[in-house]
Amino acid sequence: MNYIKRFFSLQKIPILLALMSLFFVSCKKPEPVDDTKYGKIKFEFLHYWGDEPLLYDSLMYQNAAGNELMINEIQYFVSDVTLQSEFGSKMIKDWVDIYYVDKDIPSTLIWNVYDRIPVGNYHKLSFIFGIPAAKNIPYMYVNPPERDMFWPIFLGGQNGGYHYLKLNGKWREMPENQITPFDFHLGVGQIYSGGVIDVDSITGYVQNYFTVNLPGLNLSIEEDKTTVIQIIMDVKEWFENPIMFDLEVWGGYIMQTQDAMHVATQNGSTVFSVKSIYTPQ
Amino acid sequence: MKKSKYLIFIFILVLHSCKPDDPIITPIPDATPYQLIIPPGFPTDLNIPLDNPLTVEGIWLGRHLFYDGRLSGRTHPDSLMSCATCHVQSRGFSTGIDNPRFPGGQPFGLTGITTPHSTMPLVNLVFNSNGYLWNGMIHESNPNLYQNNPLYHRRNIESLVWMGIVAPHEMYGNVDKTVELIGSIPMYRQMFAAAFGSPDVTYERMSKAIAQFIRTLISSDSKFDKYLRGEYQFSQSELNGFVLFVTEEGADCFHCHGGDGNPLFTTNLFYNNATDNVFGDPRDRYAVTGNPTDIGAYKAPTLRNIFSTAPYMRDGRYQTVDEVIDFYSHELVWSPYVHPLMHKINDGGAQLLPLQKQHLKNFLLTLQDTAFMTNPNFSNPRPDDQYFQNDPF
Repeated sequence: MNYIKRFFSLQKIPILLALMSLFFVSCKKPEPVDDTKYGKIKFEFLHYWGDEPLLYDSLMYQNAAGNELMINEIQYFVSDVTLQSEFGSKMIKDWVDIYYVDKDIPSTLIWNVYDRIPVGNYHKLSFIFGIPAAKNIPYMYVNPPERDMFWPIFLGGQNGGYHYLKLNGKWREMPENQITPFDFHLGVGQIYSGGVIDVDSITGYVQNYFTVNLPGLNLSIEEDKTTVIQIIMDVKEWFENPIMFDLEVWGGYIMQTQDAMHVATQNGSTVFSVKSIYTPQ
Repeated sequence: MKKSKYLIFIFILVLHSCKPDDPIITPIPDATPYQLIIPPGFPTDLNIPLDNPLTVEGIWLGRHLFYDGRLSGRTHPDSLMSCATCHVQSRGFSTGIDNPRFPGGQPFGLTGITTPHSTMPLVNLVFNSNGYLWNGMIHESNPNLYQNNPLYHRRNIESLVWMGIVAPHEMYGNVDKTVELIGSIPMYRQMFAAAFGSPDVTYERMSKAIAQFIRTLISSDSKFDKYLRGEYQFSQSELNGFVLFVTEEGADCFHCHGGDGNPLFTTNLFYNNATDNVFGDPRDRYAVTGNPTDIGAYKAPTLRNIFSTAPYMRDGRYQTVDEVIDFYSHELVWSPYVHPLMHKINDGGAQLLPLQKQHLKNFLLTLQDTAFMTNPNFSNPRPDDQYFQNDPF
């Protein structure tokens, strides 16, 4: 009792007031995630070129290298999607940890996540683009469309079962001025001894999957409500940020060109962003 | 144990409740459920409509109808025609370029009118839900499928039966006449009763039975299958060919035709594969989708039993596998509609050297499934019956 009296003595009151005001002014204390109440989330995958929704099948874009190009098909995997709060992280498991997106299959563009998400505020979203090595098991998908993403065993080994990305299009190839297909495919890379691109010369594999971090999230999960998170893939970014990807240099197919895939993976970290988060009423 | 049974029951309930529009399953009295064996690595998603489950009796009936020339609705020896007339088991249920009835493997109907496209083999169709025929028009999403088809709503293998009976370039018959003729044969009335619970012969039952039989035509015992199962060792040339098949720096066949990750050897998707630069076929993929990117596009056919299913391409323009390999090596034709996976178009193709072509050919030979093409369960069930269509080889 004496201790309390001493603490609240007149001399200490100004200090106490200062501390209290500092607490209120500095920042709002994050509310802890409530593990007893749950909401749901839904992802919508959108594909853009810069600030505009991507238009397909028309030679209307120019990348940083000056390649005039069109996009025809986009197919990819994201995995280990994780929501981060002040109090920890929540990895979305769904039935599996890997989700397939295909611009030509509308049902894949909306992911109604099976997991219940604890109510609370989340400030960061992260995911792996592609499939991490331990989960990229050859032949694990037997049904289309995921099956058709298989990455040949010769090129990926035992931990490279599937393409991370197929981005198919065409560009105006110079100097012939010919419209040429390109297949911007990402997956496990190969190290070839002596620079000879022959499967017998492969001395090792390179895991090219990478983590995408989307901080600054203002996601609030409310009880019994579904929150929609719109994720944008800005296709333009694959070709320019931070490294310019010139189709004239790398050509129309890169599955066996690790240097090209490396450039792509470097650019991949800025390809994704959150467009909006909302809770439909 | 009790708990796990419970869980399985709930799981099945959930699976079945996912599609509210699915037809209600009609149990068939006394028919014996047929357990389709799915080979390792093959799809587990099966194209079996809920209202046409496989039964032993249904498949047996379907096999008879598949081979019975009276499916044409006629009995004169010159007018007999069935599915087996053009879909010959020893030719991978394709026609075969050496077919004595159809020179060059180009089928024609009872009137002599040739089919607009070459024959697609009937193999592993139960694993395909992406449409049938070269342009995939037989598909549940196609609202324009001939509405005078009594089963036009089904848009599945069942619909192919109707097409075969009425098409001018096939049997050019009449469904009612066929039903009447088949219904007049005592043997069939018993078989329909066993398969469907009553002896009534209807078109719907006929098409269901034939579709059931076709869904059992699974090829999964080639050298390649054995290689994947660890039962066969590739020769060095076969292995080299396999590498060429699945690498972009090689022949890059796998993006459209599968491989170790897709043992069907087709994606069942549609591609303009750079055969032409002039288009106008009213039966290409564009005719189905109306999407200009599908102009001149056709389904990638399976490469299983490819040495038995000549001629090749939708118009049968190539007679040998060598010609096809040459085409993909050097003869690709540029057009604005060529599929983006044809990334070697400006080089004219994969530029394979003669030895590489030989390796690739040797690999393709490992896709021959002799056991499938001689499987007694798929053959003519009444080889001595004058009305039944025997394998001409």
